[in-house]
Amino acid sequence: MKKFNISFTPIIFFSATLLLLSSTNVFAQDKDDSDGEMFIEAKPRNKNGIFKGDDEISYKLNIKSTYKDKQEGKFKYVITTDEGKPVFRDSSNFSIGAGSSKSLNVKVNAKNAGFYHIDFMFNLSAYDDTVRKVFGLNPESVTSQLHKPADFDSFWLQTRQQLADVKPQYKVLERRDLSTKYKKVYLVEMKSYDNLLIRGWLVIPTDGRKFPVHYRVPGYVVELKPNMDNDDYIAFDINVRGNGNSKDVVHINTDNYNVTNIEDKNKYIYRGVYMDCLRGLDFLYSHSNLGIDTSKIYVEGGSQGGALAVVTAALDKRIKVLTMQVPLFADIRDNYNISASYKEQVVPFKMFRRYKASRAEFTWDKFFENFDYYDPQNFAPMVKCPVLMGIGLLDQFCPPRCSMSLYNHLGTTNKEWVSVPNSTHEVDLNYFMFQNLWIREKFRIP
Amino acid sequence: MLLPQKLYAGWPIGKYRDLVIPSMFLYHQTDRFDIDGRRIKGDPGASFTSYSANLYVGYGLSRRLDLIASVPFVYSQNRLFDGRTITNRGLGDLYMGLSYNLVNFNYVRFLSFQVSGIAPLYNRKNPLSDLGYGNYGAETKLMYCGNLPKSIASKGYFNTELSFRRYFDEQGPSQVSLSAMVGYPVSRHDQFGLELLYLRSISSNKTFNANINNARDYSFFKPTLNYGHQFSRRFSTFLGGYYTPIGRNTGVGYGGSLQLIFKI
Repeated sequence: MKKFNISFTPIIFFSATLLLLSSTNVFAQDKDDSDGEMFIEAKPRNKNGIFKGDDEISYKLNIKSTYKDKQEGKFKYVITTDEGKPVFRDSSNFSIGAGSSKSLNVKVNAKNAGFYHIDFMFNLSAYDDTVRKVFGLNPESVTSQLHKPADFDSFWLQTRQQLADVKPQYKVLERRDLSTKYKKVYLVEMKSYDNLLIRGWLVIPTDGRKFPVHYRVPGYVVELKPNMDNDDYIAFDINVRGNGNSKDVVHINTDNYNVTNIEDKNKYIYRGVYMDCLRGLDFLYSHSNLGIDTSKIYVEGGSQGGALAVVTAALDKRIKVLTMQVPLFADIRDNYNISASYKEQVVPFKMFRRYKASRAEFTWDKFFENFDYYDPQNFAPMVKCPVLMGIGLLDQFCPPRCSMSLYNHLGTTNKEWVSVPNSTHEVDLNYFMFQNLWIREKFRIP
Repeated sequence: MLLPQKLYAGWPIGKYRDLVIPSMFLYHQTDRFDIDGRRIKGDPGASFTSYSANLYVGYGLSRRLDLIASVPFVYSQNRLFDGRTITNRGLGDLYMGLSYNLVNFNYVRFLSFQVSGIAPLYNRKNPLSDLGYGNYGAETKLMYCGNLPKSIASKGYFNTELSFRRYFDEQGPSQVSLSAMVGYPVSRHDQFGLELLYLRSISSNKTFNANINNARDYSFFKPTLNYGHQFSRRFSTFLGGYYTPIGRNTGVGYGGSLQLIFKI
């Protein structure tokens, strides 16, 4: 075994050590493959990429070369903050024989709670690539400041009152063409905030009389369709204004949806969108005759849906359980800071920055002045029900730090979160398997 | 989703949830296997029959840890060749333990470990009481269960168990058992299951005893065929029948069972 003592410039709280393990394996090589390939796997010591307390933070890199020739060059790694600020970097010479494998251990000493990007770079004779990972350190200690406007509560109270003044005029239309032997599908229509018509899909299992409800709220301009996947719940999927089959009046493309009336908090698109979610809940509560168990309604959403789910659970205590994945817009001010370091902008600041660039008079102060009414983080303390959240550590849309800031502000201690280390703006099947069990546990469902 | 027949085996029950399973078992034998495994015709008029009612309760203490307990009420009739009949009735051995889910494989398969204690609920000093061994005992069990691999079947589940049980008496017995069960749904509410059980009971006391409740040194292989029907998400029933085609120093037993499974 070969050890390298690597000297480094200590940068406040970071240090790292690199250990090269001996090459032991020789892999079969395709003789006709003149180029070859390099397979690099970077595994965090803790499978979920989350380290707590005194956990040793380390990665094991398994490198396998199928090149015909020995590969030589540099191995570098850089650790940066969410904002892209380097906190540690190191490098060493690296070589790997033809058709063989090697392991590297990289140990990191970090103290401050947060999320860190670690890029492993191999610059070799015929191979040049970077493996990017993110790890979290004590994420439940991540703090953030709430920027809740003084009249936040009264603003939403007034908004809810305006919603209440709109007669829902519910219509429940059975769609036999979409129904099956085991599921009845209904198209549901209702009037929502500003007297706008919105629609949703209600799917009721035929095998039973009373069911808990899976209330799903949509991602960013994503059309929700009848959810036929679950036999044990009534599924209600609402298409908020401008989504799916609720585009009669609001029909805006993804590039402009979240900047619609962004300069006026009273007219901002999400004022109506948030109320659409509450109107959907009104519908469920007023239709227990359809077999809806109103004592067991959980709201779920991913991305924008995660934000909508938080807001719905915050504003309406009839929601008993909340599950969300990668909640968009969380801690919007911090998202602004983090996204500033991106080489290419992504949702949501891709739209916000484009809008800002097109209007000289529009300032970020003005943006935040409005968006503070809509930042789901400001709703988080009002959530009192059990919560499950899933995050992807490589997510740029909803940086893990922003999601954890929101999570840490939730007004309940009955909450859990799951980290999916190799996911970007999504979680994995394993998360949903756990979510399924978690909800059954909360509702005591067999 | 259909409830697995042996839901109370390797599957975690689930935090704060209860599983209640009243069941009835019938065991009957007339013929027997001798010490070399040869089948011996029973004496005319001789037979052993055991009826038992069992109450199994499981409670999920956490996502991984379950508390389980089982109490049987046994009624048995041992008809001897001379025309005498020995009848026993009463509570049998209390079985109580903890089951811990060691590993879950993507929430699809589960590896669990169970430790249990056994305590006689009848008068241990009554020599005529044949409701069990009259001794305390302990059992450890390793269980692996879950969905069948998709490469084998698109639906269905399995449960495998390896257990070791020891009764604290100089004659033991010590018992090792290995079981494998496969369940396969044939409709949304109906399923069939096949369980194969091999049990080896080892003791210095080699005497043949027709009473399976306190026979000591024997072994058998027992396949059981089950049919399950789900009435609701919280209530299922299973009806089973079994036969003992292979054995050593034990009865050629056959019988059946009825289990009611309540998930609360």
